[in-house]
Amino acid sequence: MNQTIVSYLAQYEFFDHIAALFKGNESLLAFLVFLLVALIIVGLCATIGGLGTYAERKISADIQQRLGPNRVGPYGILQFLADGVKMMTKEDIMPFTADKMLFYLAPMLALVGVFATLAVLPFSSGFMMTNLNVGVFYLIAISSLVGLAVFLGGYASNSKWSMLGGMRGASQIISYEIPVTISILAITVLAGGMSFGTIVGMQKGLPINWFIFHNPFAFLAFFVFFTGALAETNRAPFDLPEAESELVSGYHTEYTGMRFGFFALAEYIEVFVVCGVAAALFLGGSNLPFTLEMDNIPLQLVEFSIFMSKTLLLYYVVIWIRWTFPRLRVDQLMSICWKYLTPIAIFNLMGCAIWLVVFNGKSMAELMFGGH
Amino acid sequence: MTPANFDGLMPIVILMGIAVALFWGGHFVSVILAPKKPSHLKSTPYECGEQPVGSAWSMFNVRFYVVGLIFIIFDVESVLMFPVAAIFRELNDMGHGGYALIIFLSFISVLIEGIAYCWSKGDLDWVKSYQVSLKNNK
Amino acid sequence: MFLQILFALSALLTVGGAICVLLTKNLMHSCIFLLASLIGIAGLYATLGADFVAVAQIMIYVGGVVILMLFAVMLTGGKDFVSRAQNLLGLAPTMGNMWTYGAGLLVGLVFLLTNFKLLSSVLNSHPTRTFTNEFPSTVNRLGHLLVKDHVLAFEISSVLLLGALVGAAIIARPRKQ
Repeated sequence: MNQTIVSYLAQYEFFDHIAALFKGNESLLAFLVFLLVALIIVGLCATIGGLGTYAERKISADIQQRLGPNRVGPYGILQFLADGVKMMTKEDIMPFTADKMLFYLAPMLALVGVFATLAVLPFSSGFMMTNLNVGVFYLIAISSLVGLAVFLGGYASNSKWSMLGGMRGASQIISYEIPVTISILAITVLAGGMSFGTIVGMQKGLPINWFIFHNPFAFLAFFVFFTGALAETNRAPFDLPEAESELVSGYHTEYTGMRFGFFALAEYIEVFVVCGVAAALFLGGSNLPFTLEMDNIPLQLVEFSIFMSKTLLLYYVVIWIRWTFPRLRVDQLMSICWKYLTPIAIFNLMGCAIWLVVFNGKSMAELMFGGH
Repeated sequence: MTPANFDGLMPIVILMGIAVALFWGGHFVSVILAPKKPSHLKSTPYECGEQPVGSAWSMFNVRFYVVGLIFIIFDVESVLMFPVAAIFRELNDMGHGGYALIIFLSFISVLIEGIAYCWSKGDLDWVKSYQVSLKNNK
Repeated sequence: MFLQILFALSALLTVGGAICVLLTKNLMHSCIFLLASLIGIAGLYATLGADFVAVAQIMIYVGGVVILMLFAVMLTGGKDFVSRAQNLLGLAPTMGNMWTYGAGLLVGLVFLLTNFKLLSSVLNSHPTRTFTNEFPSTVNRLGHLLVKDHVLAFEISSVLLLGALVGAAIIARPRKQ
């Protein structure tokens, strides 16, 4: 049975009063609740995506000993709003050689692919929109729409830079999907399920119970996953599809105004989602290290902030990596994926399976300290 | 499955709908706010100021296609492995751990054989793929 | 209610996409309409309660096959992908000879009869949508079936995929003249 936010809310008393209003029309009630929660989550993630552009510039400035944006608002924090307004008022230019339909479709597909992943992101034990049985698998599958969007964006522009960027992007994204998927398979073996509820629920307690510390193979799998995820979201050092020093701007060279904005928004939200998935799969997600005697709603808030702080920490690491490492060459990119990450990921998967059988599902901590 | 279970799929449809609505909403706003002064030069594809010669839609290297082919095969393998991985722990708890492990590992080992073959024949190389395979195909 | 809406949306996507694939003359566009059709099929699987199959459909077809098709189209390059054929009927005689048309007819006939057989068996039986609650989800059910009843098929499929991988690598390799 798929647990959803509606079935979670149903345990509260105030929800009964609302439910009484929708007697005999539970679907409509579920729709309204989902719509409200979806708008909240989209608003939250769009804000985080917007602040992500600001954080990126501020952190890069910090690393390079510059000031960064500091004019709009205190410390320039409203810069992303100014950027948004600027994008809306920019003239909309489309190359006359472009494929009109696909030119419109590409940013839309990127947005759809990224937003659809938000449905299964476990913000806290109660505050997740739906706990699908196939959660992680669904997330991998639906995010492959973004790769398609990158290709279509490059193709539809009919510009040489875009076409090169699009081809590179699509082949990079599909290649790196393999090590990411196999790393997630290793976690699925350890957790005994694909839903985020199961996976996060398995990692209760101290950080030593997190899956990253479950066994040495899982520890390696985290780094394989994180590297692959960086490449899948086109982040540096894997930002070849939009390598600004060689391909101008890659697949979105010809995009202006709002459509460019949507590509950027999708990219930043995708980074957030990927960091959230890494936090949920390997770093214990929204679990508290201790049991709190608290009402349910404040507890959910605490869990939510724990999940967010882990995710945003990873987000910081992603930006930090971008401004530290140089970009790879295309052949290096492909050989890292197929000759290093994929074999290591398969090795991790086998290792996790063997560990599970040999030590009967116990983690390193349980073996060392005995029991829970 | 009861109808309530299908409600679990509702957020996906709603979020996709929000994405499409946001796209067209943003488009609509920019149609209202943005200036419109089209000119031929403005809408030529950007090539650093040069006049673009020919279309960008040209023949692409076969290596992209090879990567796509290898990807699909790994994709299908991972799809087949997911249900087994999901019940792996359950099987282990039921006492069939060794049996499950043998099945799982023999499946993966065939996968490894495939990647080892492609590696040794140079299909995983990005740059040298032409020369290497020429040598190996004698 | 939601189930009906989901079914209607998926069916619309599937049928509409398939019709557009036939009607458009642009190869790239027909790939994209095919994508819509495949997503619609995933939705149809979801309405049947087969969540794993639906996601696998998205994973393999949307994430893999459509991208591979787009790459294949890009392989051909060419000046433009728009077919210049005015109408299908005028072009039909040049598309094959007696043998290919005969073979096509035969395949179509067999396919049609198979479909009728399938349809009749579906219509005659009375499907009861009761799932035994032996397994908490379709994934567990699939996993148990793969490991116990169909373990040979599971293992042989890996060999099949190995063959496909080797074949793909060999075909794509440039050959010496």
